[in-house]
Amino acid sequence: MQDWLEPLIKIAIVIGALQGAVSYLILIERKVAAYIQDRLGPNRVGPYGLLQPIADGLKFVLKEEVIPAGVDRAVFLIAPVSILATATVAFATVPFGYFVPWPGAKPIALTVAPNMDIGLLFVFAVGSLGVYGVVLGGWSSNNKYSMLGGLRSSAQLVSYEIPLGLSVIGVLLLSGSLRMETIIEQQARTGWWWIALQPLGFMVFLVSAFAESARLPFDLPECEQELIGGYHTEYTAMKFGMFALSEYQHMILAAFLAVILYFGGWHFWGLAPWTEGSEVGLIGALVRIAVLSLKVLAMIFFFMWTRWSWPRFRYDQLMDLAWKAMIPLGLINLVVSGICEEFLPKDDYATRCILSWLTVAGCVVFAAMSVTSKPVTRAIAKS
Amino acid sequence: MSDYLPIFLFTAVATGMAVSIIVIAHLIGPVKRTAVKEMPYESGMDPVHSARKRFPINFYLLAIEFLVFDVELLFLYPWAVSLGGGNHAFGEGHAVFWAVMVFLGILTVGFVYTWRKGVFKWN
Repeated sequence: MQDWLEPLIKIAIVIGALQGAVSYLILIERKVAAYIQDRLGPNRVGPYGLLQPIADGLKFVLKEEVIPAGVDRAVFLIAPVSILATATVAFATVPFGYFVPWPGAKPIALTVAPNMDIGLLFVFAVGSLGVYGVVLGGWSSNNKYSMLGGLRSSAQLVSYEIPLGLSVIGVLLLSGSLRMETIIEQQARTGWWWIALQPLGFMVFLVSAFAESARLPFDLPECEQELIGGYHTEYTAMKFGMFALSEYQHMILAAFLAVILYFGGWHFWGLAPWTEGSEVGLIGALVRIAVLSLKVLAMIFFFMWTRWSWPRFRYDQLMDLAWKAMIPLGLINLVVSGICEEFLPKDDYATRCILSWLTVAGCVVFAAMSVTSKPVTRAIAKS
Repeated sequence: MSDYLPIFLFTAVATGMAVSIIVIAHLIGPVKRTAVKEMPYESGMDPVHSARKRFPINFYLLAIEFLVFDVELLFLYPWAVSLGGGNHAFGEGHAVFWAVMVFLGILTVGFVYTWRKGVFKWN
């Protein structure tokens, strides 16, 4: 096979899978929301509403594209392109399985760019470029709601970038590699999922991932009651669709990262165990893809469940959570993991586990004490 | 370099996809322009003033703070990778570890200073 053909096929698979997944995730989200609120949800288009995504997609394309008079046209068009392109390219180093055996050749790694050793860093670098789409879209629209929404969301995305990066360092200290396949292999080989050793890091990561993908309870960018649609108020038809698409892709990416970094990726005890080298049969390869997909789906369901269970934060509370809670917690987690890695023997995961959970207990006790020791009103006034 | 070939391909394909979506939607969708339709949407009121006005200083300070911490993270990633997973790339002794801890300590002092100064205060 040519050098460029294999990645090109994988790119086609990834892009196709992403778009299909997003359109059906929107349907699933509406169904989940409906069942949580004791409704039926979309059920008119096709059996159980299964053709709804196709109808939605057609409508996106067939609607009129309004470009308001005062906008900066070039920037207005660049914004959705840049946000969708970066949200897609971020999947380049994310593995969506392990290996697939290929007759007469080397097994094929199920990652678009399998040999890049900067995997995780690349995901963060490209993922955070999405902020540009938000800022440009908000600024170019020449609409006060868009402007305010763009400012707010860029500040939010930028703030939660730091706890996200901090929490991941704990995983790097355990794995010693930025390559995501290696991170999964380490968890499969030792049989420990890093969630057991990084509970505090996972908590910080999860909160930041929610904020980065702008999901409730952190969907301040588009709180309808205050800002209409936030930075994409002026976007209509397919251009709005592109923002929606990239938002869902960010959520899928966050779910993938959570599963790969903390829940063992394709590994499951007994079902998909560690194998030496890349020697897996066809059945094993399919089982690993299925395990990874199911974990990611469970994570996405958790995202949706949270969305319909929690109210939205106020903006200052959101910023306080990032700077006054998540960053200090991330620093504590980093220092504890660093000490563990420097002073404990390499394979002593039990001690690391105990220490990290003790840290969590300590943080909980500290938080409880600082909340109960002073009246809430004074605490707010002082902060 | 060939390891990075898929990245370039992916970037090209993804950008091309996004651009073509916009072009196709422009070609297919109907266009009937009216003056009212082209007004910015501000809850039904006629908009007054331009939207590109001055904004609170907090956002600016926050961006600067973000830069400081993001650069800090960039320094920490290589350290974490070369120490982690039993690599212990720094050999015997804990000098590098303590250097990083001092680095973190200095940054924490700066962090506390900006906190006390009220950078994270939203009114």
